[in-house]
Amino acid sequence: MTGSVEVVYRGIFQKHLGQRITRGIVLAAWKEGKVGISFGRYGDSPERNGIPAKSFAVVADTEEELQAFLARYEPNNNDVTVAVDDTLCKGVESWAWYGLQPINKLTRPGGTVLVTSIQTPEELLKDCHRKGAEWNLGIVKGTASFSGLWVVKEDHTDVRVMGAIAKVAPHVVKIESVETAIRNEWKDELKVASARKSYDRVTTRKVGADEGNSEKPYEFQLLKWWEMKEGLVIPAIPVKQEVPGWDGGYRPGRNPTFKKFSTRTMRPVVNFDTCTKCTLCWLQCPDSCFDITPTGHYDANMEACCGCGVCEAVCPVEDCITMVNEQAFDGNSSQFEAYEKDKETYLTSWLPEKIKDKVITHRSHGFQYRGKYEEELAEAAADGGGDD
Amino acid sequence: MATELTVLPTQILQPFKGVKKVTPEEYFTSGHRTCQGCESALVMKLMAKAAGPRTVILGSTGCMYVANTTYYSTSWVVPWMHTQLGASGSAAMGTAAGLKALMRKGRIKQEPINVIAFCGDGGGADMGLSSISAALTYPEYNFLILMYDNESYANTDIQLSGMTPYGANTTFSPPGKARRLLHRRWKKNVAGMLAAGHPECRYVATVDASYALEMMNRVRKALSIGGPTFIHSLDPCPKGWDYDPFNSHDLGELAVETGIWPLFEVEDGILKFYGKSKGIAQGRKRKPVREYLLRQGRFAHFLDEDIDYFQKKIDLMWDRWLIPGVCAFDMAEDLKKALDKSEAELATTEETE
Amino acid sequence: MSVATVAAPPVQTGPAADKEMLISGCAAIAQALRLASIDVVTAYPIRPYDTVMQAVAKLISNGELDAEYIVAASEHDQFEIVKHASAVGARTFCGSSGVGWMYAMEALAVTPALRLPLLALVGNRALDDPGAFGCEHNDALCVRDLGWMLTWVDTAQEAMDTALIAYRVAEDPRIFLPCAIGADGAFLTHSEALVKVPSQEKVDEFLPKYDRGDKQLHPDNPITIAPQVNEDWVMEIRKQNDGAMRRAHGVIQQAYQDFHRIFGRQGGNPFVEEYMTEDADVILFGQVTLSLPVKVGVRKLREQGHKVGFVRLKWLRPFPTQEVQEALKRAKAVGVVDRDYSFGSPNHGAVLYNEARSALYDLPQRPHVISFICGLGGREVTLDSVTEMSEILLKTATTGRMDQPNYWIGVRG
Repeated sequence: MTGSVEVVYRGIFQKHLGQRITRGIVLAAWKEGKVGISFGRYGDSPERNGIPAKSFAVVADTEEELQAFLARYEPNNNDVTVAVDDTLCKGVESWAWYGLQPINKLTRPGGTVLVTSIQTPEELLKDCHRKGAEWNLGIVKGTASFSGLWVVKEDHTDVRVMGAIAKVAPHVVKIESVETAIRNEWKDELKVASARKSYDRVTTRKVGADEGNSEKPYEFQLLKWWEMKEGLVIPAIPVKQEVPGWDGGYRPGRNPTFKKFSTRTMRPVVNFDTCTKCTLCWLQCPDSCFDITPTGHYDANMEACCGCGVCEAVCPVEDCITMVNEQAFDGNSSQFEAYEKDKETYLTSWLPEKIKDKVITHRSHGFQYRGKYEEELAEAAADGGGDD
Repeated sequence: MATELTVLPTQILQPFKGVKKVTPEEYFTSGHRTCQGCESALVMKLMAKAAGPRTVILGSTGCMYVANTTYYSTSWVVPWMHTQLGASGSAAMGTAAGLKALMRKGRIKQEPINVIAFCGDGGGADMGLSSISAALTYPEYNFLILMYDNESYANTDIQLSGMTPYGANTTFSPPGKARRLLHRRWKKNVAGMLAAGHPECRYVATVDASYALEMMNRVRKALSIGGPTFIHSLDPCPKGWDYDPFNSHDLGELAVETGIWPLFEVEDGILKFYGKSKGIAQGRKRKPVREYLLRQGRFAHFLDEDIDYFQKKIDLMWDRWLIPGVCAFDMAEDLKKALDKSEAELATTEETE
Repeated sequence: MSVATVAAPPVQTGPAADKEMLISGCAAIAQALRLASIDVVTAYPIRPYDTVMQAVAKLISNGELDAEYIVAASEHDQFEIVKHASAVGARTFCGSSGVGWMYAMEALAVTPALRLPLLALVGNRALDDPGAFGCEHNDALCVRDLGWMLTWVDTAQEAMDTALIAYRVAEDPRIFLPCAIGADGAFLTHSEALVKVPSQEKVDEFLPKYDRGDKQLHPDNPITIAPQVNEDWVMEIRKQNDGAMRRAHGVIQQAYQDFHRIFGRQGGNPFVEEYMTEDADVILFGQVTLSLPVKVGVRKLREQGHKVGFVRLKWLRPFPTQEVQEALKRAKAVGVVDRDYSFGSPNHGAVLYNEARSALYDLPQRPHVISFICGLGGREVTLDSVTEMSEILLKTATTGRMDQPNYWIGVRG
């Protein structure tokens, strides 16, 4: 018997989380006499903030069975796929030529995708691509946990996911082994309790082969050696893209093989009416994601925006740019187009609905100042336990 | 025999007169695998935008190579070539020399072509310092060497370099039970030392992408003035410094406002501070370094004594150095007096003449 | 005897005749660079190659060569500078010796992958420590797997001729690989011999301009050169390099044919020089200037009635497998003379031994192959050594047996 678990996570922000989960699974399986290894996917390295990455735990009853997983980059038939940020369910693009990989692509038929989320399964299934085989969707209730390289937010997401894995894939690890491993590794009874609680409360739902997002995610064919130009030469990007219907304005050429939008957890929502065209969002965007419209507005192109939030930080006008969680959106259509089409609806109902919502505008995207994580955890505890 | 040197015509790249006059074209565009909020990527964008289309860029190994061209793709619109870590000075010289020879022999059109070689702090301040220094002694070649400094070997997952600030957490300096601060070196002043040591180099400047206009105009100046030039940018790095990416811009400003990062330029032998550093040089109060340090996870392990030490060093730099950010020493008292005296005598002589 | 330039008698028709000069191997290469009108050269001092850079400096300051001359701050810088000059389309030249070449190793490793046709002179010198200026081939040999073409030259004339041929081959768009010319330190780099230096017209007919086409780095050609890759791309890139090196064999042959037609020299086999091998029972096989004492020794042994021959390998990369098989197959015993070492390699032989033996393996009938390590660190290969090696080979040829596979010749003790 072998088992494998992949954890799909936001690079850097959830690096420790991913590692803790997969190490924890292997340590727990060890308690049952199994052998296993935990490893990050080599191609992800060096990890970048927000860019989807993966780590794996593979376990087996014998060394020989384990060999099938060794000296390989990633297992492709996982019993459990964990997504520790539900916006990853829209698909992940980890590097150039990778295309958009559905979150359930490497889940084995009949396996489970476990997502940390406050959304319902139905809402999540609008994002998850059709698999063409049956699978299960499990939810560990809660918001995405973001830390950074040096300071970790101790919100128990790691052990809660481990507990949930024990529930949906008991042949990989049993909850008793998970509890023992947690006790040994962290010597923290509260963490043990969180794992058990999560085990008790995780819910799953079967998903049909044709259920989910019907859009076909983009992919690329790798070139043959004789199709490649010699001398390590590739063509540069054209300086400009033509936009149908635009007279004036400027949309830069963009790298077609790495779009980067699947890096987003939040996207900027722009009020084109209150915008003073100060240019700062466009100028300070490290990803050149703003198109300059023929009217001189700055439209964050959703195919290119990676959700860093610098535009919101530099915008001098209150509520002109607001970062909003991806779960509130479908697709990458242009906000400026929507605004031009129907300014009334855009300004009086669509925009306020997005930017006034406390839940989807909540930002917890890494270290802000020393002590903030502790404040957030205290707040969450005061709110009556956000962790279930 | 100065007549032997043939200096190719440089162009005049006019400074942008305000943000609304900044040209729209992107010569480094979207689709790079950099962190959210990567200020080094912003530096690349602004640098390329300022330089324009008649440019070739050499990029040495580091984040701005690996992230920007991962894997077998590119975000560059202008011609770009990889070079080795530590080879930016050589790459700039080789490219400029090759173009010069070909133009002189009539094999390519005679025109000003911007040659920019960039390096990170690892490849510039550590490994490549000697090749940059050699390059800055060649007055007959026109190029800009830009060192983007995110204060670590960032691409290899954050190891300390000669430019990492005192006490910072990196994978080579993790705070542990036995030793809290493994890294007790103070950051070198690369722009300062290069300006002070290379009389043939006509332009050296420090920049900060949070002040995008000033940064781009300095790039334009460096590309217009002729000969070898050097620019050093400080780039907040969400991954290595550990902070929410939307703070990138603010931290870039704070670095200057606390006096940690002095903005200056040396142009044809005259040094000036600019931006907020100008006010600080004239005596305006600096923000406390605590404000800057405690917004970054890499300093989260600092005790008050560490923050105080850091503050003290910054105070020393502004109060006691001959030139803050440039000359890390002062003159002996009697030397000062002698110089003052001889200046006074000179002034009197001039008056009487 | 002063340096003499003998003016050739005036020729009525055709291109100008050759000029004869008494010059060292390094200076001969400098003449080739002048005739090739190189664009960029970088210098850094290390013996024994750097006399070529001194010769080039004189040519430039006297107005005989128009090139950018950059004194680099290290060998790594040297080779990086010319690498980038080559990328914009400039014809370049560089060189080093011994540990200097080692210091440049990173630049050397990437130059063939970037398909840049650099010409480098390696003034072969023993690697420090222990420091010695004498000749040993391990420096140049270090790049033999990486995609560099490697050739060794025996005389100053051959040095000059090969430099011109190397530019032609390296810059051929079917190839675009760098070429290193190995020249034994002191014996070739510093000894002055008579060299026929051709006219500019002849060279212009032989050597076209360097044109990188769509790989040229220039604002009119928007490309990205050498993006980062991963395991999805590396094999295909290496395969392209493999193709270029395979094509090099044919391009070298064409170049030598043309050279012979225009200059009247280098008409023999481009890859190996065969000396008294037609009926040889035993053949010594090696490269570069040890050929000189070996040839003397071969003639002496022949006078004594022994059928000894010698094959000098001219190109190590691309290795001319067929030519080596043809040249050695009829011998009963082959002694490979290595002026290099490869500690711990099969039979504790050295580099050339292992390459030659591997090349001969597929022959239906193989000669015995014995490894001789000789002349390290510049130690003279004497007549006595040649006799010693030949006697070992002759014994094997007679008895049909090898007493041992490897000998160190000329070592005390």
